[in-house]
Amino acid sequence: MDVAALIYAGEQTSTPWRFRLDELAWRDMVDMLKGDDLPFVGLWCDGADVHALFLPDGHPLAATLALEGGRYPALSPARVAASLYERAIYDLFGAEAMWAVDVRPLLDHDVWSAAPPLCAAPGRGGQRKGLVAFQPSDAMAAAKGRVEERGPATGDLAPPFYTRLVLSGTLVANAETQTGYAHRGIAARSRHARVEDVCRLSSRVAAGSSVAHQVAFCQAVENACNAQVGAEVALLRVALLEMERLFQHLYILAGMARLAGAQLVASHCMALREKLVAEAAPITGSRLLMDVCIPGGLSVRDATQMGDLCGRVYELGQKAYPLLVLLWREYPGLSALLGRVGRIQADDLERVGLDGPVARAAGWDCDGRRIMPAYDGLWRYTSGRQNGTAEDRALLLLDEMEESLRMLDLASARIGLNAGGTVPLSMQDGEGTGLVEGPWGGVLYWVRLAHGRVAEAFCRKPETSALLVFEQALPNHAAEDAALLACSLGMNAAALDG
Amino acid sequence: MGLIRAVMNTVFWKERQKRKPLGPRWPLLLFHVDTGGCGGCGMELQAMTCLPYDMQGAGFGFVNSPRSADVLLVTGALTRTMAPVLQAAWEAMPNPKGIISIGNCALDGGVFSENYAVMGGLERRVSVDLAITGCPPSPQEILNGLCSLLGSAAQGGKKETPSGG
Repeated sequence: MDVAALIYAGEQTSTPWRFRLDELAWRDMVDMLKGDDLPFVGLWCDGADVHALFLPDGHPLAATLALEGGRYPALSPARVAASLYERAIYDLFGAEAMWAVDVRPLLDHDVWSAAPPLCAAPGRGGQRKGLVAFQPSDAMAAAKGRVEERGPATGDLAPPFYTRLVLSGTLVANAETQTGYAHRGIAARSRHARVEDVCRLSSRVAAGSSVAHQVAFCQAVENACNAQVGAEVALLRVALLEMERLFQHLYILAGMARLAGAQLVASHCMALREKLVAEAAPITGSRLLMDVCIPGGLSVRDATQMGDLCGRVYELGQKAYPLLVLLWREYPGLSALLGRVGRIQADDLERVGLDGPVARAAGWDCDGRRIMPAYDGLWRYTSGRQNGTAEDRALLLLDEMEESLRMLDLASARIGLNAGGTVPLSMQDGEGTGLVEGPWGGVLYWVRLAHGRVAEAFCRKPETSALLVFEQALPNHAAEDAALLACSLGMNAAALDG
Repeated sequence: MGLIRAVMNTVFWKERQKRKPLGPRWPLLLFHVDTGGCGGCGMELQAMTCLPYDMQGAGFGFVNSPRSADVLLVTGALTRTMAPVLQAAWEAMPNPKGIISIGNCALDGGVFSENYAVMGGLERRVSVDLAITGCPPSPQEILNGLCSLLGSAAQGGKKETPSGG
């Protein structure tokens, strides 16, 4: 019996792909997962139960366990990525993961006004005053060497997080991060909230992947309602997703070039991005493509112009793209510098579940667009160098930009003038999931609807796994390359903290 | 939604010009702190530092230490975890100094109103010298807002309203 069969043998819930296990079966599941490659997506809690979601063959499969005395057997001994979810669940619900590999706080650093805020009867929070203290793991506490600290306020323009480096000479020997600085309580705000309000929140989980979050959330709601948007709306969403990928890849490439000292290259990337964003904003209504989707449809400012916009973005991008690639490849020293940073093996990425361009640049063939029906006839696999370094990631981003431009060109010919329309949603009670390939990997939403509102929502984003990869990859890097490494892995504290 | 705030007052600017002469300390140096947003305002600030916006030509520059900053530039809703960090950055800045909020979240929390982890925005907590609203405001709107600051200084503290988003 494999893990999937064990889960299917559980008690069927009202959701066809979710099964309730008892504690012994859950423990068996954890044991069997150690020798099974069932893709793990995420772990979340709703106060009464914990749910573990897997994605065999691209289809959701969830196991549910009732909390017993506020505890549950941890999943992290079998899936290291579960560790971050377990820490977040403890901070938010007070539910303790037994035999967890890491029990340090992730989000709550004793400063919240209520703790745990989402449990049935929250107590008074820590109300700690002053700067929060760093809580190292045992290994970090024992590490000897010169300590360097970064963040949470470094003066740069990224969301806040803290990194502590222990140096051996000029190289990093140990590194750990502390997050939670940007925690805004999105899970709490999503509970019992109107669907439109949660959709608006989803577009602000992380600015660079706003469309991915909106589309994944909308798909989850539509699936919960057993509704399907029309082909035109699905295509318009693909166009928005690819525009976002284009803008975000340019932004990240600019960041990597800037941190590598190639200001000219960075400037070219940002100038092209600005040109494309300025073209899109009057039609979509938002420069960062926020609030462009609603469950059942779209909410762009002028959907009838979307076909033309795709064409114009393609023309502008295609004109500037060859020069940008040439500049990137030939800028003195850029390739050599990036080639020395952040080499990561595909096996390590699979172990922590980090997909997206980071994984593809390391040779792990994974792309959520493969299983999205709206991409049929548009998407094709982008293959390039797969050594897993920051340079490979940058070159892959450039390749993907060209692919996105090609898809926008194809989409421009197919998008009509009827603006897609909106599907009325029944808003019946139920659960649904939605998976989208965002700029940095798979964004998945699970939503439970009750009484016409969102009862609970869970979001899986690649930034969670990126944090683990960042911590693991830092040793043996020069301390000054930490920011470049974070940038090349798509680290984003806003997405991570939620 | 809060009012779009007034610009720095005459006293600030007279004092600034006395203690921080324009010549050697020009441009106006900004230290950015994201106090817990989605990162959108930070992305627009990054765009403002690049073409086609001439931020440096307009008289502004970013620094990576509050000790060398004139103005604290705040984006994002104020989380309880970041509040002491913001306070520490403010205290590290030399006098005279100012604080500017960028985006709706930094001013009043925006979509991230007060809860167990978020205190809302700066409004009603500190005296904000300039608020540039929007979700997020565009680079041009941010630059216009910042320029209104210098414009008002040059005009002896005449108050201007920056364009918000």
